[in-house]
This record gives sequence, structure tokens and C-alpha cells, in this order.
Amino acid sequence: MTEYLIRRIMQSVLVIFLITIVTFILIHAAPGGPTQIMLSPGLTPEVMEQQAKNLGLDKPLPVQYFHWVSGLLQGDLGYTFKNHLPIGELLWPRIANTLILMGSAWVVSILIAIPWGIYNSTKVYGLSDQTASFISYLGFAMPTFWFGILLQQYFSLKLDWFPLSDMHSRGREGDLGDLFMHLVLPVTVLSLGFLASYMKYARASMLEVLDQDYIRTARAKGVVERKVIFRHALRNALIPIITLLGMDLPILVGGAVLTENVFNWPGMGRWYVDMAISREYSVLMAITIVISVMVVIGNLLADILYSIVDPRVKLGKQGGKAA
Amino acid sequence: MAENLLEIRKLTAGFATEHGLVKATDEISISIGKGQTVCLVGESGSGKSVTSLAIMRLIEYAGGMILGGDIHFQGQDLASKKQEEMRSIRGDRIAMIFQDPMSSLNPVFTVGEQIAESLRLHQDKSAGEAMKMAVELLRLVGIPAPEIRAKQYPHELSGGMCQRVVIAIALACRPELLIADEPTTALDVTVQAQILDLLRNLQEEFGMSILLITHDMGVAAEMADRIAVMYAGAIVEEGSALEIFDQPSHPYTVGLLQSIPGFEGERGSELYTIRGTIPPLGQLPSGCRFHPRCPHAMDICRSQEPPDFLISGEHRAACWLFEDKPVWSGTNERGGKR
Repeated sequence: MTEYLIRRIMQSVLVIFLITIVTFILIHAAPGGPTQIMLSPGLTPEVMEQQAKNLGLDKPLPVQYFHWVSGLLQGDLGYTFKNHLPIGELLWPRIANTLILMGSAWVVSILIAIPWGIYNSTKVYGLSDQTASFISYLGFAMPTFWFGILLQQYFSLKLDWFPLSDMHSRGREGDLGDLFMHLVLPVTVLSLGFLASYMKYARASMLEVLDQDYIRTARAKGVVERKVIFRHALRNALIPIITLLGMDLPILVGGAVLTENVFNWPGMGRWYVDMAISREYSVLMAITIVISVMVVIGNLLADILYSIVDPRVKLGKQGGKAA
Repeated sequence: MAENLLEIRKLTAGFATEHGLVKATDEISISIGKGQTVCLVGESGSGKSVTSLAIMRLIEYAGGMILGGDIHFQGQDLASKKQEEMRSIRGDRIAMIFQDPMSSLNPVFTVGEQIAESLRLHQDKSAGEAMKMAVELLRLVGIPAPEIRAKQYPHELSGGMCQRVVIAIALACRPELLIADEPTTALDVTVQAQILDLLRNLQEEFGMSILLITHDMGVAAEMADRIAVMYAGAIVEEGSALEIFDQPSHPYTVGLLQSIPGFEGERGSELYTIRGTIPPLGQLPSGCRFHPRCPHAMDICRSQEPPDFLISGEHRAACWLFEDKPVWSGTNERGGKR
């Protein structure tokens, strides 16, 4: 297990290194540069060149790359071109904000979707199953920004139950009740998206397992139906669900571009768009790297969990078969 | 002879489909004496497995239902029991083993846990006690190093070993009746013989009755006291193993026996086959269900379903060829003790 972990972490380091190269190349290959955005009518080419020099943009790309990566290795994500602010300090609060929003939506949707999906697998095409199916289709089909605006219209502007947007009311930062009220609408929008796929997935996974021979064996033993579902079937059905959940982990940090914009949530998704518009290369690269690391960690976590739930998966070892 | 342990009378079981009710078994009657082995033989789709699932009342979980008839097991009618009541009988007094041992075991529990579960369910054993007994059961079914094996998962065992584990689960509570649905079909030939031997030895030790379902006449010959031949949802012939092999009466049984490749006969000579295929459920022909494939089909076979004719003693066949014989009363009298 430890050996496996070490090997996986080494692999991950390599993957992240490759990602840094690809990210760097892609971003520099894109048209338009940081200096162009600073163009103003009075700016002469000489001044622009001086600007680029100040920012280190006149150096050859490999040198720029080297500077960037050596910074990364020391935990330095770089500075914004405009205002020259340290990216790290700007990044962490936004990650935290996104994590609060996405994490709540994720947990809410798991708590609803998985038990509901399991229940529906035992009563296929019943009223509850049909309702869940309808909600899933809504979740898949409705554009999130549209659903978000709809909620704002009704529950905020018309009924005035919840605040329209932002994370805090002015002057009430740190007030958890206030934060909760601000969370309700965006979390509803985001949960519906997660819910749609998790519920379908949980139901399908359970249905597949319930059809297996070992479930019949359990019933033939005289196991009560509740235990057939929760002991014999669920442990098997959870295996693929865990993979799905693990693969969604990076989104928790990456944020939701549309929803964050609709609700003016100061998170990663909104920041990414803002920074892309103002050509803040170093910020875009920093965000990409952070999300890549999350993808790698998410996959690793899913694999570890997988080996805990499924005894057939032995990490790092070839499963031996006895004759 | 002793009283019957299980007596199935006119059992009809089937499935609700888009085209209405489809009967998978049609008024079948079988009885099994204490300590006896009865083989239910027939080709795929003849309703053998449905019969076993109906006895266990697991058919409801497979989307089917019992439509009529009764299943007498030690003075109780299983067909009319509630699932709750059946649960205490299943795995305790009637146990079942299935065709594919690898998929019959839950991949996420150790084999020891899976055997112990039966004991904890029906005998109120503590976890530790049940586990100890599970190890003993593994030893009983001939698994070497049972202490180690008990802690392993099904994927770490071979098919033959898995089937031994499945048998250990079934025997954990010393059932009076063991239903074995094609227990050797998925196994290698050498392992098949070992499993059959094991079943026979355990039967002798525990004195249980076995309902063995198979499509393999060789297995039936090896194991059966009595044989019931099923075709398209009905029992077309039933008798002692000797009667069935010595004096097969129904043309279907005759055909089945002829289709076994033997050691005699010229190599390269054509193997006997029964022409045609078994009719799909719900599309039975009129009259005798076998007549379209029967070499002896007469006019009456096309229009009227034959009753069971009593060929001799306890040997019956549902075929118009035996019209001169008396009609079977519907039960096998055993020493008049009913």
C-alpha cells in the first residue's frame, strides 16, 4: 500500500510537470497578450516595450517558463500584471469561497441523491421513481444560468425570502446565518445538476447489483430484504459511485463559472473568467495548475477508497488466484 | 417407504408479461421422500429453475408468481405463506445452491462471513461462534486449510472451491431439503464428479432430501432415486431412476436418452437429435405439448392434452401411447401413510 502510494505520487508529480508545460504553451500560443490589454491611446511602442521588460515578458519563452516553474516549486504562484499583487494571496480566499458553495451543493446532492436512488431501485417505475426521473431530466436539461435567474426572480425579487446575490450582506461578513441565506439559491441551482447524475447513477448501479446471483443467494439464505439491500447490495453498488464522486472532486475547487457569475459569488469560476478577459496569464496558469493538482488528488483518493470498498482491488499487488 | 418430505401438487407458476400471463410451469406434481434424491431433468426453458424458485418462493423476486397449486412441506403449504414466514424457512430448513458458484457469492464479503451469516440468522449464534462453525463447515465440504480460506474473498478461490463454499452456506443450518439447481454445470468435468460425490456423502451424513435440477442425464443417472422429466413446463414422465433408464416411456424421454453420445456406436456416425426446438413460453401447441417434435404423433395428440397414465407402480407418463393404462391419481402413494 505505501509502496503503491509512493509510486502513484511520483507518477502524479510527472503528470503535473507535463501539465505545466502544456498549460504554458497553450496560454502563450493564444492570440493577444498582457501588454495589449494595457493599450491606451497615449501609449507609445517604446513605453509598451519598457512595460514588457518590466514584467519579464521580453525574455525568451523557455526562460519565462523556467522562472515560472521554479517559482511554483517554491510555492510562489507569481504576481498579477496589473497592480503586481501576489496571486497566492488572491487565490486562497477564492478557493475557500468556491469550496463553501460547491461543497455545500455537493454534500446536499449526495445526501439526497444516493438514498433516493437506492430507494427507487427497489420500487422501479413507482411514483417516487418517476418523480426522481423527472427531476433528473430537469437537472440535465435546464441551463444553470437560466434556472438561477428564475430562482432570483421568484424567491428573491418577488418573495424576498433570500438575498439576490453575493456571499455576504454588507457589514455582516462572518455571520453564518447570513452566509446560509446567501447560499440557498446558488446551492439549489448547483445541487440540481449534481443530483441529476448522482441519482441516476445510484439507481442504475443498485439495479445492476440487485440483479446479481449473489443477491439471490442472500435471499435464499433467508436474509431480510432490508439487509439484502443495505448490506449485500449497497456495498457492491457503492463501488462505481465512489469513482464518480472522486472524479467530481476537482469541480469543488474549480468552481462553477455560470452560477458564480449569476449570483455574483466571489469564487474561482468568476475569477477565472475575469482574469481571462484581462489576459492575466500567470493567474490563468496558477488556476489551471491548482485544478490539475486537484484532479490528480481526486483520482488518487477515489482509487484508495475503491480498494477499501472492493476487496478484489488490491493496490500495487497482483491479485493472486488460488487453485 | 417413509412419508413425503415435500409434496408439490398441480403447481402453476409464471410471469406477467406484456402479452398477459405466461405459465412457466403448468400444474406440475412431484413428491420427494425423506432422504431421497429426485432429479428434475429437461432442456433449457423447460421450467426446471422456475420450479425450484417457486418452492423457495424466490420467484416473486424474479418477477414471477405462483398462480395455483400447493407445495406441502412437512404439513405446511409453502405456496400460501407470507414472505416473512418463508424467510425463516429459507436457508434453515430448505436451502438452495445455484448454477454459477463464482457469481453466487458476494464479492465484498469473505467466504467465512457469508457462511456465518446463515448461522447468525437462523441459530442466533454470536459472531465469533458462527465464524468458528463456518470454519468447521469449510472443513466438512473438503476445503483444505479452512481457517485461512474463511478469511479469503470469493475471487481468491477457484470455481470448484466456490461451489464447496456455496454448499457450506446451504448446509450451515442442516436443512431437511436441499435444492440444487444445475450445481455442476459451470464446473470442469473432474470437479463435477467431486462435487456430486460431496453432495452424496453429505446427504448420507445429514439424511437430507435433495431436489437436483439438471439437464445432464449422466448426472441424473449418478444421483437420482427418482427422475422427473420436464418438457415445456410440464412433467411428461416420472419414475424411479431404474424405470426411466430401463423403460423410458414418453417419446421425449426416449429421445433425451438417445441423444446422449455414448462410447458404443461408430465414431463419425450421426448423433441422435430431437428435431425442432422447445416452444417458447406462452406459445404452446394445442393438444400434447410435445406433438410437433414427436415421432409417434397421432391425431389425438394434436387436439387433446394427454393425462398422466400409470405405466407401473410409481412410473407415469403423459402420452397417448399409453391410453390403455390407468390414469394416475395425482399423488404417489407411499405405504398408504397419508
